[in-house]
Amino acid sequence: MLSLSIWLVGIVFELALLFRGAQHGLLRRYPIFYSYISFVLLNDTLLFAIHLPPRPYLYYYWFSEFFSLVLGCLVFLEFYRVALREYPGTARMARALLSVLFLLAMLKTVVTTVNVHQWWFNATPAQVEGVLRVCQLLAILSLTVLVLFYSVPLGKNLRGILLGYGLFVGWSVVCLALVAAGVAKANTLWSFTFPFSYLISLIVWTVYLWSYQPNPVPGRAIPLEQDYLRVAAATQRRLHNARGYLAKAVGS
Amino acid sequence: MISITFAILLCLLVILSLVLLATRGSSVRHELSFRSDVPLYNETTGDPSLCPPEFAARIFSPADWTFVSGEKSRDVVRLFQHERRVVALVWAHQTKSAIHRIMREHTRITRQSQDLHLATEARLVYHYVQLVAICDLLILAIQSAGPSHVGSLATYAALLSQRFADAQHTLAITTAARELPGASAAH
Repeated sequence: MLSLSIWLVGIVFELALLFRGAQHGLLRRYPIFYSYISFVLLNDTLLFAIHLPPRPYLYYYWFSEFFSLVLGCLVFLEFYRVALREYPGTARMARALLSVLFLLAMLKTVVTTVNVHQWWFNATPAQVEGVLRVCQLLAILSLTVLVLFYSVPLGKNLRGILLGYGLFVGWSVVCLALVAAGVAKANTLWSFTFPFSYLISLIVWTVYLWSYQPNPVPGRAIPLEQDYLRVAAATQRRLHNARGYLAKAVGS
Repeated sequence: MISITFAILLCLLVILSLVLLATRGSSVRHELSFRSDVPLYNETTGDPSLCPPEFAARIFSPADWTFVSGEKSRDVVRLFQHERRVVALVWAHQTKSAIHRIMREHTRITRQSQDLHLATEARLVYHYVQLVAICDLLILAIQSAGPSHVGSLATYAALLSQRFADAQHTLAITTAARELPGASAAH
């Protein structure tokens, strides 16, 4: 009953998100993010309408899960592209940092597969998804840290996308680790927290993407020119003071 | 397989950084808030507005302490200890905030830079983290052991911060000059 309620409320929020997005022209601005939401909505509606037998359901579930993971990576790339468009310096740092992370992840995978024979064949889908979600979460973390460190101004919409998706991926990693360790089982409290975390993300997205808010445009003033202006202002001020002293001296 | 502890720690770290991002409030307001009217560099000489290393050496020098303790007056010694500790703490806090300001100014310039040098940037970030850690350590040491015992650390911090500020200033001028309209055509 609880999972059904979460499901239904989720569908309502997804519809609201898409409706508002279409109304305010957000679909055009964040096409991949809205494709992701549309895919999840389609998936939810299909599973709600069609009752699949357990085996096909399992295959369908993991297929849709991996497809949404790929779409999620594209959402992350869209965020990176839009948020850092005006900041080539930060974008370059982000690329370098993400490349290092990717290399480390590759190295870790190679070491794991060499040490544990036939890991890919014996690993459960939850384990594979867990590893991929960890990579995604590390990428989100590094980008957030860079945005904070370089004080990159983000608009409300972009902040909402990152916040909602980060919360969802973060909780997914915890849930997948619990599933892989055998702690979280079907129909326990843990199993409800996963769809519930997605519902929270949907609420965050609906609030932050209710209407279009443009990203703050950075000032294009050149610092050196600013310095010149500052020095010029200070010189003028000093000249003004000197003239005052001179006038006083002549007066006395 | 991912360990549960690692997953929880990573999740907490991400949530914390995202909350920081969300509570940063209006980004524009944040952007404007750190643009101070007080110049970062001396307007005539171009030197960073940091206390000179000689000043730090004087505050943390044991010479004054040796002189005062030779006076054999408990009140004078107590007063000197209190006053010197306060001055040393103010210096450490000022140095730390100056470093923060310099770094903010630097990130403001470099985030829009077209040709950012990754190695230079990484080195600056490393020095920044090192300096902040030294300042924090210095504050703790001043409070627990007194300023006369941490003279060498303070001199090191003063020298390092001066070098950091100089490096940032040179980098800022180079970056700005490179990005001035027509600068590339002038070469």
